[in-house]
Amino acid sequence: MVNTNANALGIIFPNCYDELLPEMVTERTMASVPFAGRYRMIDFVLSSMVNSGIDNVSVIVKKNYHSLMDHLGSGREWDLARKHGGLNIIPPYAEANVKIYNGRIEALASIESFLENQREKYVVMSDANLAINFDFEDLITRHVESGADVTMVYQRAPIPACIKERNHTMKVENGRVVELLTNDDRPGVQNISMNIYVMERKTLIQFIKEASARNLNSFERDILARNLSLLNVQAIPYTGYLARIGDRKSYFDESMRLLNPDNVAALFCRPVYTKIRDDAPTRYAMDSHVRDCMVADGCIIEGEVEDSILFRGVKIKKGAKVKHCVLMQGTVVESGAEIEYIVTDKNVKITADKKLSGTDSFPVYVAKGHTV
Amino acid sequence: MKECIAMLLAGGQGSRLYALTQRLAKPAVPFGGKYRIIDFPLSNCVNSGIDTVGILTQYQPLVLNEYIGNGQPWDLDRLYGGVHVLPPYQKATGSDWYKGTANAIYQNINFIDRYEPKYVVILSGDHIYKQDYSQMLEFHKQKGAACTIAVMTVPWEEASRFGIMTADEDDTITRFQEKPKNPESNLASMGIYIFTWSKLREYLCADEADPNSENDFGKNIIPNMLNAGEKMSAYHFEGYWKDVGTIDSLWEANMDLLNPNVPLDVWDDKWKIYSRNPGMPGHQIGSNAKVDNSMITEGCKVDGEICQSVLFAGVTVGPGAVIEDSILMPGVVVESGATVKYSIIAENVTIHSGAEVGCRPEDMEDKDKWGVAVVGEGIEIGYKAKVGPKAMVVKDVKDGEEQW
Repeated sequence: MVNTNANALGIIFPNCYDELLPEMVTERTMASVPFAGRYRMIDFVLSSMVNSGIDNVSVIVKKNYHSLMDHLGSGREWDLARKHGGLNIIPPYAEANVKIYNGRIEALASIESFLENQREKYVVMSDANLAINFDFEDLITRHVESGADVTMVYQRAPIPACIKERNHTMKVENGRVVELLTNDDRPGVQNISMNIYVMERKTLIQFIKEASARNLNSFERDILARNLSLLNVQAIPYTGYLARIGDRKSYFDESMRLLNPDNVAALFCRPVYTKIRDDAPTRYAMDSHVRDCMVADGCIIEGEVEDSILFRGVKIKKGAKVKHCVLMQGTVVESGAEIEYIVTDKNVKITADKKLSGTDSFPVYVAKGHTV
Repeated sequence: MKECIAMLLAGGQGSRLYALTQRLAKPAVPFGGKYRIIDFPLSNCVNSGIDTVGILTQYQPLVLNEYIGNGQPWDLDRLYGGVHVLPPYQKATGSDWYKGTANAIYQNINFIDRYEPKYVVILSGDHIYKQDYSQMLEFHKQKGAACTIAVMTVPWEEASRFGIMTADEDDTITRFQEKPKNPESNLASMGIYIFTWSKLREYLCADEADPNSENDFGKNIIPNMLNAGEKMSAYHFEGYWKDVGTIDSLWEANMDLLNPNVPLDVWDDKWKIYSRNPGMPGHQIGSNAKVDNSMITEGCKVDGEICQSVLFAGVTVGPGAVIEDSILMPGVVVESGATVKYSIIAENVTIHSGAEVGCRPEDMEDKDKWGVAVVGEGIEIGYKAKVGPKAMVVKDVKDGEEQW
């Protein structure tokens, strides 16, 4: 798997959908939002690419990318510390007369010359707001077989509330996209674009050139949607496990879905790599009480925890009670504290005997480093 | 050039761990939920600022070689120095297995000379402890010693199992006895030595020239240096240290991790123990699970009762299964309704439902027959099969059968 080369270049847009999750991305990108106990959102798509034989991946960042750079490092944990290709993080040029890009296509314009110089025949593009274990190799094969100009991937589902104003849906006839809508609000099951694309590198460069010549900036609206009769755009439905992070509620719900072992098995059907923190195993003290939880390494649990996700290095002191919570890395719940329906960001401290609760429909979020 | 490098003796067969070391060397035996024994001395080296380590291997080196790799998990992938695995090799004048611990170092004199070290630390790959070697090196320099040996006080009744040092008030070693019947001191050697390299080099060459020598540090080099009047110092180590060369001591050392009163702390961020990470998602605790005083790591799926046990990566325990006072190594599957008590279960063993492995000492009439049960790598314990206490299982046990 890892050692077969897919002859494709990967491009990830880590800042897409940042604005949907304002609390969590004040100091990070959508791609570096912690998820599933020990991962960041980007780990899923990045590992999928690596597992599919893509070993030249560019991450085009826009802002707040320190945490992402720290997380990715040289790309070694994803086997992407390579002499040729490997991981390539591309920040915006900081020049007075260059404006920070908005659309996908503008972002790509900044790496046009890089794209010209690569050897791979194909390009796959993805955002980082979906936790999926995706087979890009299969996608590329089907793209090549169909002879399409562009192949995109969609999910058949009702449009989630969190992307009511940020979505693309499509009408597909015999595999070909005949209509591509922006910000669709029809009820019922739709073909929702997952913003995963594959095309020839040369085709992409052509799109970028045309877009900059005509001052266009939306890849979907200005390039694909307008040219569906000229371009052969194919679409493939995705039926695997998918967690879409769009707002606080969906973050909480998708986290809770991982308490079902079948979902974990589906999301981790092929390995997902992440930065190694060298934590010791989790320690359960005498008289601790834990059930229906997903727990990362390095935790010390002395109290009661139910139906929760514990990230690395969380400490639950004696007599503390935790229910329906997502506690990110380094959270400390002191003795006697009781929390329910809470999402804590990194290094939050819930002091002794505090009681804090949200509800199923409105989980309370505690920002990074805060003490309650 | 390097001031100090470390040589780690990892060639031991570990014959007393029998079922666990059929296919791997003792230093590669899994320990403490996500480590292998060798992670402790290796991490100690890195945390002490020693960035050049030679690992001497001989017995079943495959697993160990692959595990060490380029040394990256320990931050030992360096441009100059780093970790090197040193198996015996063929020379222009012939080839030799490592005849003893001293001979293993002797055969790698060229490796050590490349770094022109002033000092060399000699370590064993079968001890569990956390130690700052830089403090011991400071002590070695202060005393102006040719050799410094780390010692710890042991109970008098156990003294005859160790190499025993007698030291004066200045910590100068005056006498050394290997496993004495009537010990005159209770200062035991921990098998951790710092030598001034020029001195050690001299004694290694002399030892090699002696056809009657067993080429062993404890038996030859140390006594020879002492007899020749070299300055040898005893460095008093305080803290947790355990030789895990036997089933009982390996089991005890794992259990020590679960005892908050034992000073072996792997959760300390200031002295991390590094290991190669299997990269699995967090572990899942199910609705029927009950976990008490245990250690659990990535990739485990627990739906049974776990008490006083250590679970390695990717262990599955089905509903209704009971695990007590046991160690389950990576990939073990315990099906529903099976019980595992006072046992060490090696990698990728499957224990089918209803099987019973090991038992509590209090449930035995004849306490002398009790011991920790061990199941070797990849074994299957059949449906309703039974493995008695103290058993060493190296072949599959069929459905309903018993093995003692």
